[in-house]
Amino acid sequence: MFAHPLSRRLLSAAPSKHLRSVVTRVAVLNSTPTSLNSPPPQNDQLSSEPVTHFGFQTVKESLKATRVAEVFSSVASSYDTMNDVMSFGIHRLWKDHFVRSLNPGRRPGGRPMSILDVAGGTGDIAFRMLDHSEKANGDRGTTVLCADINADMLREGEKRAIQNGYDSNRISFCLENAETLDSIPDNSIDLYTISFGIRNVTRIPMALRSAHRVLKPGGVFACLEFSKVSPAFLDAIYQQYSFSVIPLMGQLVAGDRDSYQYLVESIKRFPSQSEYARMIRDAGLVNVGKGYEELTFGVASIWKGVKPLE
Amino acid sequence: MSNTIRANLSGPSIRWLLSKPIASSPATSCCSSSIVPRIRLRRRYHSYQHPAPGPPFSRPESAILSASLLHVPSHGFTDAALSFGARDAGYLDISVNMFSRGVFDLVRYHLSTERLRLGDKVDFRKPEPELPEGLRNLSIPAKIRVLCMERLRANAPIIHRWQEILLKLTDVVSMDLLMKALAVMSLAENIPASVSELARLSDEIWFLAGDGCHDTTWYTKRATLSAVYASTELFMTQDNSNDFEATWEFLDRRLNEVEAAGSAVSNVSSYLDFTVHALANVLRSKSLPFF
Repeated sequence: MFAHPLSRRLLSAAPSKHLRSVVTRVAVLNSTPTSLNSPPPQNDQLSSEPVTHFGFQTVKESLKATRVAEVFSSVASSYDTMNDVMSFGIHRLWKDHFVRSLNPGRRPGGRPMSILDVAGGTGDIAFRMLDHSEKANGDRGTTVLCADINADMLREGEKRAIQNGYDSNRISFCLENAETLDSIPDNSIDLYTISFGIRNVTRIPMALRSAHRVLKPGGVFACLEFSKVSPAFLDAIYQQYSFSVIPLMGQLVAGDRDSYQYLVESIKRFPSQSEYARMIRDAGLVNVGKGYEELTFGVASIWKGVKPLE
Repeated sequence: MSNTIRANLSGPSIRWLLSKPIASSPATSCCSSSIVPRIRLRRRYHSYQHPAPGPPFSRPESAILSASLLHVPSHGFTDAALSFGARDAGYLDISVNMFSRGVFDLVRYHLSTERLRLGDKVDFRKPEPELPEGLRNLSIPAKIRVLCMERLRANAPIIHRWQEILLKLTDVVSMDLLMKALAVMSLAENIPASVSELARLSDEIWFLAGDGCHDTTWYTKRATLSAVYASTELFMTQDNSNDFEATWEFLDRRLNEVEAAGSAVSNVSSYLDFTVHALANVLRSKSLPFF
């Protein structure tokens, strides 16, 4: 991985805490558990509990959720600012396109929709959904439920909903694990969206099965997520940028390097467009078209699936 | 009318049409069992060497689209027609997200189902006694004319809406600048699909007419028929005559022109063919290997 010498160089001026964490990561990546600061990864593999990845690190499955929670609790308040800085504001265009292409809202002679936005704590997508259904379809009845595993992100979203004067009957927030969605009844949702959230879920197939469970027959699953950049030279530039610039920006803007290092590593570990489309198909959903739509050379992609009637 | 529109790709004859050339052709059955064909290209024309393409739409897609087509005469090729169709098929309003190209998928569905259905209505490959009374002992151009008319008649119920679609694809003069840009964009992205659908239709018509030629005229025949069909379809959208009589006259004039031009082309090509072979033989006689 060419990115590591570079990130280490950038880190040399950083506080020792950050330096340690990168040493750990490099050690795990090279499978040489010499660092005293971290438990050797072999221990994880020897124990009976299944392991998963947390960025480039290997952690026990039960630990991943806590680690992800730590990341998002620490970035909650500066989440949107950082997104703007990192993507030059393009993430707003992606989200706008995502919502516009789904076209939520009541159609003439139809019923209001019930939308579930998973991992939507800050309400980013939810507000757009409500705005679109009101402006484009003249619908004030469609409701959005924002589910997130992280209470800090939910609080951020609730704060914004009040600030921007959204009707509390139309938007609600609830603490929910995407893998189980316990409090949401079967066949109750018209549109399930998850935007930049699925890669943080420990067991993605389980989350997709839950999505299938809560969707009404004919309901739509839509996912916006970072993906693989396709022309190789653009990918090289993108990798350089994400592994060297983003963690640095995280440190400068949000004062939190580790969280942003995790974000770029988790993007790298996420499956390719077609692999993820296959996972969606395996969960019982019917892919739309070829299964995905690439945005900005595949930096992000939109996957859609429809729950079949039978 | 509703019956013909409702019948979708699961119809037995359409499946037969898609699978027949590969499954039961005596010429390929011996090879297909022993040798795996190396070229697995999905064919875009009738061929005995390539596997038949699968149905162009999945089962839920055709359920919604076939129901939507029933709403086209009243609502046009619009999102509303798609929504109504989805509801009729037991789906939700949001389910129209299944169609990544929106209304254009509905247009494409109409084009491809009517193309596949053409073989059920008229098929000149059948033995003469099995053909209907008026269709026996026709020349190839007459068969082409019958098939073109049959396909154009399938547009009759939606012809006033079809005009909107064709205008969307061809005319951007009357719109303001932004709309113009949008129209051109949709034009650019939809043209490949529209053109390949037209090419498939003219291939289908030649195939059903029983034309088995596979020389260079294979291409010229299909290209000229595509032009004739497209212009006649455009003419038909403006035709107010009784039972589209003016359209059939227009079609006859175009086919006659093509026949005249076609004989000129074939004269030229046979002249060129003779010249090239003569030249090759002269070179060979001088011990210069030509090929």
